[in-house]
Amino acid sequence: MPKLDFDIITLGHGSGGLLTNKLLDSGVFHLFDNEQLQQRHDGAILELKGKTAFSTDSFVISPIFFPDSNIGELAVNGTVNDLAMCGAVPKYLSLSFILEEGLEMTDFWEILVSIKWAAEQAGVQIVTGDTKVVEKGKGDKIFINTSGVGQVHDNAKISLEHVRPGDKIIVSDSIATHGVAIMSVREGLEFETTIKSDTRCLNHTVTALLDNFGEDIHLLKDPTRGGLATVLNEIARDGNLGVDLNQKHLPIQKEVSALCELLGLDPLYVANEGIFMAVVKAEIAEKVVDKLRKIEHCSNAAIIGEVVENHINQVVITSAIGGKRVVSMLIGEQLPRIC
Amino acid sequence: MNNWHIHITGRVQGVGFRPYVYRLAAKQKLNGIVYNDLNGVHIEFLASKEVAIPFYKKLIEAAPTLAKITGHELYEMDDRSFEGFQILQKKEAKTAAMMLPPDFAICKNCRKEVLNNSNRRGYYSFITCTECGPRYSLIKKLPFERECIAMDDFKMCPTCGEEYSNPKDRRYHSQTNSCSDCGVRLSLMNNLREEIEPDSKLVIKKVVALWKEGKIVAIKGIGGYLLTCDASNAETIKILRKRKHRPSKPFACMYPNASYAEQELIISATESKSLTGEVAPIVLLRLKKKQASIALNDVAPGLDQIGVMLPYTPLYELLLQAYGKPIIATSANLSNASIVFEDIKVFSELAGIWDYVLSNDREIVTSQDDSVLRFSSIKKQPILIRRSRGLAPNYFGPISNCESNTILAMGASQKSVFGLLFQSLFYLSQYLGDLAFFESTESYKRTLRHFMNLLNCQPEVILVDMHPNYYSTEYGKQLATTHGAKLVSIQHHYAHFAAILSEHELQTKPEEVLGVIWDGTGYGDDGNIWGGEFLTFESGMINRLAHLSYVPVILGDKMALEPRISALAHSWENTKAMDILKEKFSEQEWKIYRKILAKGQSTKTSSMGRLFDAVACLLGIMDTQTYEGEAALQLETLAQRYFEQSNKVEETSYVSQISYIEEVPVNEIIEGVVKDLKYGVGINQIAYQFHYSLVKMIENVALTTNNEKIAFSGGVFQNALLVDLVQQFLGDKFELYFHREVSPNDENIALGQLAYYQTTKRDEISK
Ligand SMILES: [Fe+3]
Ligand SMILES: [Mg+2]
Ligand SMILES: [Zn+2]
Ligand SMILES: [Zn+2]
Repeated sequence: MPKLDFDIITLGHGSGGLLTNKLLDSGVFHLFDNEQLQQRHDGAILELKGKTAFSTDSFVISPIFFPDSNIGELAVNGTVNDLAMCGAVPKYLSLSFILEEGLEMTDFWEILVSIKWAAEQAGVQIVTGDTKVVEKGKGDKIFINTSGVGQVHDNAKISLEHVRPGDKIIVSDSIATHGVAIMSVREGLEFETTIKSDTRCLNHTVTALLDNFGEDIHLLKDPTRGGLATVLNEIARDGNLGVDLNQKHLPIQKEVSALCELLGLDPLYVANEGIFMAVVKAEIAEKVVDKLRKIEHCSNAAIIGEVVENHINQVVITSAIGGKRVVSMLIGEQLPRIC
Repeated sequence: MNNWHIHITGRVQGVGFRPYVYRLAAKQKLNGIVYNDLNGVHIEFLASKEVAIPFYKKLIEAAPTLAKITGHELYEMDDRSFEGFQILQKKEAKTAAMMLPPDFAICKNCRKEVLNNSNRRGYYSFITCTECGPRYSLIKKLPFERECIAMDDFKMCPTCGEEYSNPKDRRYHSQTNSCSDCGVRLSLMNNLREEIEPDSKLVIKKVVALWKEGKIVAIKGIGGYLLTCDASNAETIKILRKRKHRPSKPFACMYPNASYAEQELIISATESKSLTGEVAPIVLLRLKKKQASIALNDVAPGLDQIGVMLPYTPLYELLLQAYGKPIIATSANLSNASIVFEDIKVFSELAGIWDYVLSNDREIVTSQDDSVLRFSSIKKQPILIRRSRGLAPNYFGPISNCESNTILAMGASQKSVFGLLFQSLFYLSQYLGDLAFFESTESYKRTLRHFMNLLNCQPEVILVDMHPNYYSTEYGKQLATTHGAKLVSIQHHYAHFAAILSEHELQTKPEEVLGVIWDGTGYGDDGNIWGGEFLTFESGMINRLAHLSYVPVILGDKMALEPRISALAHSWENTKAMDILKEKFSEQEWKIYRKILAKGQSTKTSSMGRLFDAVACLLGIMDTQTYEGEAALQLETLAQRYFEQSNKVEETSYVSQISYIEEVPVNEIIEGVVKDLKYGVGINQIAYQFHYSLVKMIENVALTTNNEKIAFSGGVFQNALLVDLVQQFLGDKFELYFHREVSPNDENIALGQLAYYQTTKRDEISK
C-alpha cells in the first residue's frame, strides 16, 4: 500500500477535487496502469472486432471480506463470467465505486489489490471508472459496479433456442460452496472447517470448451444468486422444456452438504461463484466432463441431469431414495411450506 | 290424461335410479320414458293429475339409498304418446351439471353372491350391481353409460346382457355389469412380470399363501394399488417400512369382517356404521387389549389407535375371507406422493418394494386413496382426516351466494385438493397428495384437466393461496394466464375460517363468530408464518383478532421436521428449558442455532403446530419426526391415556392471562411445562394439562370478545382429544362448530377459498 496522508475515506474523496485526484493518482491509476488509463480521457476508446458482448453487474454484498476472497474479486469475476456465459472472451472492464464515508483505507486497498489480481487472472484491462463517496449510513462500506465488453468466440452459438430435449446438463464443479462460505461469515457462524469461497474467472475454461466443442455447447449459465434451481427453472420456463435432475449426481463437498443439512438449506438454492452450468448435446456430454475434470477447479465436474420433453416448465429431481420432487422457482426467501 | 315431466338433480346417476323409476312406473302401469342427461334424470309420462302427483311424491321419497337428491321439479308438457315405459339414452345438453357418483363399497347382496360357490358369480372378483361398485374411478366422460366408462372394452356376454335388459333383474341397466365369462381378469405376477397363476380361482389361494410366507403383494384396487402383507408378521412389516422408507408412520389394516374387528377393537355403533357403509373408509380405532392379532408396535409405533377398514371390494372380500386374518393395506407410493394406479408404474417406480403384483385388466381412470375418518372418543364427533374414495368428488354442504361464474379454487399444497364451482354445483376433488412431490403435481393436474373435460368448462376466476411458493399457486397463475381468468389470492387461515363458516352457513347470519384456526403453517399477509389464529367474522368481514405470540422461524422447513428446533425457538431465553434441550443437539448445532436465534430473525411464526412440537420435544417424546404431525399425535396419545386413567381430572391450566389483545403469550405455557417437568409431574399429565390449557385459552379469548359462536378449523383439530375437551368444557357456554363434510386440515382450503371469495367483503384481497 502506498503511503497516504489519510487512513479513512471521507466525503472529499468523492468530490472530484484535490482529494479525489490524490486518491486516484497515488493508488488506483498506478495499480491498474495501462495504455487506456494513461490517456486520461473521460472515457475509454476501444477497438473491437466482430460480434461483441456487453454486460454489467453491481455488487452490494455483506460481508465484503470472506474466507480467501473479497468483494473486489467478486466484482471483476461477476462481469467477466457474465461475458463468458455469452461465449465471449472478455477484454475491457469499467470499474465504479460507491464508498461509504469512513471506509478504512487499508480495506479499500486490499479490495483494489484483489481487483488487480482478478483482472490479471481473467486477462482483462480496466479502462475507465468512477468513484463516489456517500455519507455514513447511506451506503454499506463499499458498492462496486463493473461493466465489460468482450469478443464473442467464433464457434459460439450460445442460446436457449438451441437447447433440445435430450441435452445433458453439466456443472463445472461442486455446488453451493460460495453461498455457504458467505453465510458462515455473515451469520458469524464459526464452523470447524473453513469452507472457502471459490470465486474465480471462468472465461479461460469456457474458451477451452468452445475451442473443442463449439456449437454443441448450447447454453452456459452462471448460477449465482438463487442457485442452480433458479437458472434451471428459467430454462424450463422460458424454453418451454422440462428438466430432470438426479440428486445422486450433484457434486457437493461433504462439509458443504453437512452444513446445508445443519442449516436447513437446499444446496440447489444456495448461491454459487466460480462454477458454471452448461447444457450440451448428449453425444459430447461425457467428453465435456472428461475435459473439464482435467482443468484446475473443475475436478468435480459432472452430468447432473437432462432436458426432457415431458413435465414442461417443471424442474424435477429424483432423490437418492427414488422419490421425485419438484424443484420450484423460489419467490423471495425459503419460506416454510410444511404444515 | 296429461303429459308430465319430472327433472331430478343430484347424485342420481350410477346409483340405479333409472331402473328404480322404471319399476315404480311399471307398477302403476304408466306409459312414458326415463333418461339420463348431463343435467340429471328426466322422466316423461302420461297420467292424470291424480296419479301424477302421488307418483312424483313417492318417487322422491323412496329413492334408492345411494341417491342424493338435491333438486326436483314436476311440470306439464306438450302432448305426445308413449308405448309402455322405457329407459332411453339421451345426450342433448352441452354442459354438464350433475354429480359424479363416487366409488361404492360392495353391497350385501353382492357379498353374498361372491362368497357363494354355486352362484354364477361366485368367486368373481369384480361383481357389482346397481347398488355397489366403482363409479368415479371409471368415468371417462359423461353421462354415466357403459360406453363412457372404463368397462367399455368389456362386451357383456349373453347372460349378463339379459340381466342388463331385464327390468326384473337387480342388474337391470347396471353399467358395470360383468361376470367371469365376459369381465375383468385378474393376473398375479412376479417381479419379472411373469404371470404365475393363470387360473383366477386359484389366484386367491396363491395370494393367501404368499401372505403366509411373509411376502408383500401389491394389489390393484379401486383407486390405485395397495401394498399388502400379513399384519401380524413384524418382520415383514419391518421390511415394508424399510423398502418404503417409512420408518414409523402408521399403516392401515384391513380386517376380514366386522365381527372379527369387534373382537379386537373398541367400536361404537357410529364407527361400525361408518366401517360397513357404502363409503367404507379407514376408521381410526382403539385396540381392546395388547394381544391383538396384529403387530401393533410395527403397525402404529407409539400409538394406541390403528386405521382399520373392512373389505370394500369383492376381491378384498374373497382374499380376506380366505386369509381369515388382518392384513396391512397401505397406498402404494413413495413417501407422501400420490397413490400409484398405472400398471406400468408399479413395475418401474415401485419395483423393489413389493414381491408380487395382483393386477387386473380394467383401467383406473381416476386415482384415489382410501378415505380416513376418526371419531372423538367421548362426543363421537366425526373428524375427516382424508376425504377421498367414496366421498369425493361431490360436496353436499351449502354453497351460498352462487355466482354463475365458473370458479376454480386451487387449495393449498401439502394436502392438495382443488374445488370447482360450475353451474351452481361445487365439486371438491379427492386428496391428491403432497405437491412437493412430482407425482402429486401430475395427479393434481391430470385430475383437474379430467374435470374440465368432463364438465366441458373453463375457469373464469381462479383462487389461490397467498403462499408464493406453493405449487398450486404457481400453477393457478399459469392457468389464469392460459384461460384469461381473474386471479385472486386468499390468505390461508381466512380460507380455513370461511370453510367452516360456510359448512354451517354462518356467513349468512348476523351474529359475530370467533374463529379458532390452528394449524402448522400458512403464509400470513404480514409476511410471517401464521398458525395459531383467533379470527373474527363480523359484518361480512374476517379480521385477525389475536394470535399466538410470534417466535422466530429458523432453518426453513427443517423446523417443521424437527420438534427440537421448535422447542429451541420457543424457549431459547428460558434457562431451565435450555438445560433440557442442550443434550438434543450436537455441540456445533447448539452453538450455531443459538447464534442464529440471538441475531434475530426477520420471519416469525404464530404456529400452533410448532407449539405442539415444542411441548412434545420438551417432554422427551421426540426430537425429530418422520411424518407430519407425528409429535403432536404422540402428545395427544399420552394426554388421552392420562385423561382415561385418572378418575378425577384436575383442571390445571398453564394459561393465566384472562384478556388478550393481539398476542396470546405462549411463554407461560412453556414455563409451566418446564416447571412441572422439574417438579416430577408425570409426562402424561403434563401432556393432558397442555391440552386443557388450550381449551382455557380459547375460553379466555371468547370471553374477552363476547362471542357466543366459536368455529374451529385447521389441522390441529384432527386432534380428537382437543375436540372432546373443547366440547366438554365449552359446550355449555358457547355454540361450537366443527367440520363435518370436509377435513379440518388443508384439504378444506379449496372450499374455504371459494366461500371466502363468494361471501366475504374482500376489497383488500385482490392482488
Ligand atoms: Fe392450514
Ligand atoms: Mg450481471
Ligand atoms: Zn351390489
Ligand atoms: Zn358376463
